[in-house]
Amino acid sequence: MSTYQEFIQQNEDRDGVRFSWNLWPSSRLEATRLVVPVSCLFTPLKERPDLPPVQYEPVLCSRANCKAVLNPLCQVDFRAKIWACNFCFQRNPFPPSYAGISEANQPAELMPQFSTIEYIVQRGTPAPLIFLYVVDTCLEEEDLQALKESLQMSLSLLPPNALVGLITFGRMVQVHELSCEGIAKSYVFRGTKDLSAKQIQEMLGLSKPMASGQQAFCRYDHVPHVHPALENDPLFLQPVHRVDMNLTDLLGELQRDPWPVPQGKRPLRSTGVALSVAVGLLEGTFPNTGARVMLFIGGPPTQGPGMVVGDELKTPIRSWHDIQKDNARHLKKATKYYEALANRSAVNGHSIDIYACALDQTGLLEMKCLSNLTGGHIVMGDSFNTSLFKQTFQRVFSKDYNGDFRMAFGGVLEVKTSRELKVCGAIGPCVSLNAKGSSVSENEMGVGGTSQWKVCSLNPSTTLGLYFEVVNQHNAPVPQGGRGAVQFVTQYQHSNTQRRIRVTTIARNWADAQSQIQHIESSFDQEAAAVLMARLGVFRAESEEGPDVLRWLDRQLIRLCQKFGQFNKDDPTSFKLSESLSLYPQFMFHMRRSPFLQVFNNSPDESSYYRHHFVRQDLTQSLIMIQPILYSYSFYGPPEPVLLDSSSILPDRILLMDTFFQLVIFHGETIAQWRKAGYQEMAEYENFKQLLQAPLDDAQEILQTRFPMPRYVDTEHGGSQARFLLSKVNPSQTHNNLYAWGQETGAPILTDDVSLQVFMDHLKKLAVSSSA
Amino acid sequence: EKDKYIAPSAERGWNDPPQFSYNLQNARGQQKGHLTRRAAPPTSSGNTSTTTVNLKTPPTIPLSSNPLAPPPCSLAPPPRLQAGPPTTTTPPVQPGSQEEEGGGDQTQCEPDVEVVLSSLNRALATCRQSVKDQVCNDVEKRLLLLDDSWRAGKLSLPVRRRMEALSLELRAGHWDSANEIHRSLMVDHVTEVSQWMVGVKRLIAETRNLNPELLEQLQDTSVTDQDSDLLQG
Repeated sequence: MSTYQEFIQQNEDRDGVRFSWNLWPSSRLEATRLVVPVSCLFTPLKERPDLPPVQYEPVLCSRANCKAVLNPLCQVDFRAKIWACNFCFQRNPFPPSYAGISEANQPAELMPQFSTIEYIVQRGTPAPLIFLYVVDTCLEEEDLQALKESLQMSLSLLPPNALVGLITFGRMVQVHELSCEGIAKSYVFRGTKDLSAKQIQEMLGLSKPMASGQQAFCRYDHVPHVHPALENDPLFLQPVHRVDMNLTDLLGELQRDPWPVPQGKRPLRSTGVALSVAVGLLEGTFPNTGARVMLFIGGPPTQGPGMVVGDELKTPIRSWHDIQKDNARHLKKATKYYEALANRSAVNGHSIDIYACALDQTGLLEMKCLSNLTGGHIVMGDSFNTSLFKQTFQRVFSKDYNGDFRMAFGGVLEVKTSRELKVCGAIGPCVSLNAKGSSVSENEMGVGGTSQWKVCSLNPSTTLGLYFEVVNQHNAPVPQGGRGAVQFVTQYQHSNTQRRIRVTTIARNWADAQSQIQHIESSFDQEAAAVLMARLGVFRAESEEGPDVLRWLDRQLIRLCQKFGQFNKDDPTSFKLSESLSLYPQFMFHMRRSPFLQVFNNSPDESSYYRHHFVRQDLTQSLIMIQPILYSYSFYGPPEPVLLDSSSILPDRILLMDTFFQLVIFHGETIAQWRKAGYQEMAEYENFKQLLQAPLDDAQEILQTRFPMPRYVDTEHGGSQARFLLSKVNPSQTHNNLYAWGQETGAPILTDDVSLQVFMDHLKKLAVSSSA
Repeated sequence: EKDKYIAPSAERGWNDPPQFSYNLQNARGQQKGHLTRRAAPPTSSGNTSTTTVNLKTPPTIPLSSNPLAPPPCSLAPPPRLQAGPPTTTTPPVQPGSQEEEGGGDQTQCEPDVEVVLSSLNRALATCRQSVKDQVCNDVEKRLLLLDDSWRAGKLSLPVRRRMEALSLELRAGHWDSANEIHRSLMVDHVTEVSQWMVGVKRLIAETRNLNPELLEQLQDTSVTDQDSDLLQG
């Protein structure tokens, strides 16, 4: 139905919201029968070049436990200058500054086209951005040189007023004083002993830190300030414009960790203490100010708290197999250690990035919470001396159409709902602020038990999954006005240091599921639903066993097909799905095979890396990760999308596959032969040259803009790198078309080796079965 | 400048993507992704959804005289996915260690190190009147390094060209442009420039903050020299 597609697209463009259902079932019972919960993907800072921010404070509902923001859904009495809150129905007088409003002269926040609006709030002194580099010096010479150059380059990309600091580590941890004159001093910590925040701050000679009570701030009361002691504290964090020359020299002079590494051993790397010092330093000087800790590592932590593996090379770093057999000695303790650091950092509004470049694992499995809880990046590469790392790192500092950084800090998201809805939780790079209230559901999905979350660092593509529960009782009348509403209020620090508040208010109609099920069905957004269910799956996978998650995913899919499929009982061939659900089973098929749920083909670090990016990307990118895009190039017509299937691999085609993490250009057998014979160099075969060029040109936009930069694979039929393509496509054509069932007892499992066709056949059988 | 794309270095990491220059990366607009459509599985119902596309049956191609060769040019090349004109970048087909300047640039002269350095040093001299000695000495140290590297032939042509452009922008008081050029050099050629570029960066920052009288002084002398350069050139 093109109407809903248009509606869905318009809403995404304007509000950054994609709901699984765009007509909401009016009772709790009916909502659970729909299988996919009422939920949405929400991009708080979606780029809106057409939305200029307004320079005044938002108007709030005066009811103490409401405080919703004035929005286009509110009823307004322009004569009496009163507005009615659409969430709690409280009548509120307009502030004096609104005396001049009328029907013909409305403030922006009342107009429907401003369902998303941004306010600049002037409060306190603007705080500078802070960048604290934490650098592993146990790198190969070439790698260290490349990293040093990237760090020097980044100083040119930082705004002149930003504060910058440097901690280096190997066996010891060194905090460098950044002065503009004289001899550079540094403070050295042993890498084996963890210290408390207080001890670190004392040893660094920092003045008394801010009172710890100023952590989770309540709405609109937060005042950022530049620590007055900056002038008196030792010089660990200094403005770039003052120290850039000396810091450039300091970086240039960094040496490899001097402690010799004996044969058969790993270098002693004290990542745990280094991070503890970094977090403690920031906590003690700039709590509640936007800051990025940027950790650069070339290998796993091998000593001190948070160690992931010992220094004996003959003991390999844990694999999934080891973890399954409970044979990962350091895993629990290290994870706990980094989780504590991550939570402290999140409370202070500081984010932690991890740039891990090594040929072996570096401990991302244990350390991922540092970035996942704070909104920091994880970048994984083979070496710092690759264009993948260098360009990805450059893109951290990319600027938008206004010349401002695309990064924002100190985000706090609050969700308000009309009373028929409650919030179950959020999945994304956030932590709970434990804000209880009437809109918080007891059923938790993702990070629940709260209606407020903190996202310490975010950018225009950061997307959260939010899950709701309909609480209306069955057979209760459809609520007056017929619409449910949700308001998203995001406070944050813009990269130009302004404090801003973005408010998005949306509404959807209630529908009685018993009489209007077809309308509800046609309002289904299968793309959003697939990503939202996938995020739930990944969230479960992080805490449960693998096969249970697959079973759960399968069960939801079967139930959805039973509910909405059109079929005759026990007749699989009669099964049909309407257009609004037709692609959903395919998404689930690919999701089951994806690296987000199939871990045994990847290392624990790789799985952590893939999952990290999966639960924060917007819908389009998330779908690419679930079901890669495949385009075919030929002489027969314009490039076109083709099935992600082995039947799309043809001798006279070039395929371009985008999995988000890799871009693969695959030349069919005949194309490869022509290329080898050099036809593209001959004038008469100019069109062949253009054909070879076409996928490269199309890939360019992706390569130029995506963060992180993808790997780039140029391969052909018979090439060893063709496996990237072959492992992703549906194996509909193999030598063996006999597939065995999984266990018949218990909940059905659809085996992993099946083709899409077989998967669909099994699905249909189960959906139509009267014994299910 | 034409050098928008940097050829990949000889040693690339495994499956390393191509390197884009600073200018090319920043030139991106609000482009919508082109590659976002999917093909529907043959069994699904309804083809009116915008996300589905049917596979076309290929038309018959004219036989070429050589069955082993691709279709000759008489067959029009397939239409491109992007609506716009073809891009100016080239793919990493031939790795090389240096960029190639277009043949049409032969008319441009080789940048003169004397002219470039004298512009920079003149700015520094003016800064000495109000900026701390320590800072000026640090900048001077680096300008000397730049001078040495240039004369020793250690700087590639694109770097020399861009430094010339930077010095002209500095002379003209176009601080933001000068800064952009410095950034593009740090991003695209960090190995060549990192030792001294931060000094140039600081010089731009300090010069732009000079009080108006000193700035005027600087710009007056620049104009005089420019005239004399023209007379000689």
